[in-house]
Amino acid sequence: MKKPLKKHLMIAAVLLMGAAHAETLTVFAAASLTDAFKEIGAAYKARTGVEVTFQFAGSQVLRTQLEQGAKADVYASANDAQFDPLVKAGLVLNKQAFTRNQLAVIVPASNPAGIKSFSDLAKPGVKLVLAQPSVPVGQYARQVFDNLSRASNTLFAQRVLKNVVSEETSVRQVALKVQLGEADAGVVYTTDITPEVKARVKTILIPGKYNVMATYPIGTVKGGQNSAAQFVNFVVSRDGQAILKKWGFLKVK
Amino acid sequence: MKRKVPLVPVVLSTLLILFLLLPTFVILAEGFTGGFFPALIDPVVLDALRVSVVTTGITLLLTVLFGTPIAYLLARYRFPGRTVLDALLDLPIVLPPVVAGVGLLLTFGRQGLLGPLLQLGHIQIAFSATAVVLAQLFTSAPFYIRASKGGFLSIDPDIENAARVDGAGSWQVFRFITWPLAFPFLLEGMVLAWSRALGEFGATILFAGSLQGKTRTITLSIYAALESDLKPALVLSAVMVVVAFGLLWVVRYLNTVQFENPRRQLLSDVPDVKDPAATEPLQVSQQSEKHPEKAD
Repeated sequence: MKKPLKKHLMIAAVLLMGAAHAETLTVFAAASLTDAFKEIGAAYKARTGVEVTFQFAGSQVLRTQLEQGAKADVYASANDAQFDPLVKAGLVLNKQAFTRNQLAVIVPASNPAGIKSFSDLAKPGVKLVLAQPSVPVGQYARQVFDNLSRASNTLFAQRVLKNVVSEETSVRQVALKVQLGEADAGVVYTTDITPEVKARVKTILIPGKYNVMATYPIGTVKGGQNSAAQFVNFVVSRDGQAILKKWGFLKVK
Repeated sequence: MKRKVPLVPVVLSTLLILFLLLPTFVILAEGFTGGFFPALIDPVVLDALRVSVVTTGITLLLTVLFGTPIAYLLARYRFPGRTVLDALLDLPIVLPPVVAGVGLLLTFGRQGLLGPLLQLGHIQIAFSATAVVLAQLFTSAPFYIRASKGGFLSIDPDIENAARVDGAGSWQVFRFITWPLAFPFLLEGMVLAWSRALGEFGATILFAGSLQGKTRTITLSIYAALESDLKPALVLSAVMVVVAFGLLWVVRYLNTVQFENPRRQLLSDVPDVKDPAATEPLQVSQQSEKHPEKAD
């Protein structure tokens, strides 16, 4: 009985050592980057042979995890509010803006609340799902409501917030609740309306004068691998930017 | 005959024991240091406590109301498909909670199986406290059914029959004989079901969403607070640990009481009753019942 166990342990140890030698990069990225970054990761691996593993979540979740000492090599968030504190604390270095995004309203294909325009979100009885204020898209959405309120000098924002039935922890959770038809409407990024989602929702555009421009920062995590900077360079390179564009992201001015 | 202390098992045990206990004590230490009470009256915390107490309370009422008859029928009657039903009712216990949430969505969601029917009745479940209760009921009721079934099985049918001979109706038999005798088991089932409902997370966040003061229970609040302000999360976690200790103590206490049920004096007007505790050892509900299941 003893001998086989020893042998197994040896084999396991050898395997583990092998795994430790294969280079992998860990990238923490905002949930809205899920599809684009997966493709960027595949392209990067094809070019360099380096495996990239991603953790996608609300930027605020990733920020908390990094503050608590989570190990990562690259961090990309959907706003500065969830990025700058880490730079200040010296946990993230070399911040640069790499892409931009805009917001849109989505409703289920059946449009149960009959929403035709952005201002319909304030109609009483609309079940609106937002991300919580700590999530970048939640913060941006509330900014858009305030913009309209100020421009029209109405209580639009207050009326809309009365309609909120759930505050989700990432933009993809908001999109999910709308796709399932549970919510009447949700505020997401235009890039979240991926081909898969498009089939199940209707998009209600937000008038340009009220819409906000979300800017995404990226940086390397202190104590991460040296090759982290290479990955960041790939993201801002022409190839990386082309993939982002394909998924609907906008260029940084 | 003093045996030598077995060193390896002791070392291994110590490691796991430390691993199992340390995190809870760290939570207590963190939660109760500096500003526990100010944080306790933070609206975030109070709303979470209120939502959890109300929803789990309703869940528990429904569990007892509907679960007791099921347990009683399963324990007392033989009917076709009983063993299969008995096994299937344990399914939510082993089902991952998030899968329960998916099932509830596909069934009660607006585009789910019963969606159109609910729309006709103008019943709005999505993102309401009702959804929270349904999620809790689905994941916790089986615990109660299981425990109370064990309780009913532990009663000697002769006692019930004796009461019937003395002219008691079936409701009276249940009310004055079966219920009191099985009560410690039922109570234990309630405690288990309640703690499961209180801890419910996966099904709730998927099926009911998360809105402070409405559907955001303690667990959902902890999750949400971790993303912005840590203090409410720590306080709520500490409260949960204290509650868990309390529940643990109640279950322990019930297990000792089950052998000397003070409510047995209710039987004093039924002479010559065999003491069930003396005739057959009572089993704790979590253990498999020793009653052989007769095949249907």
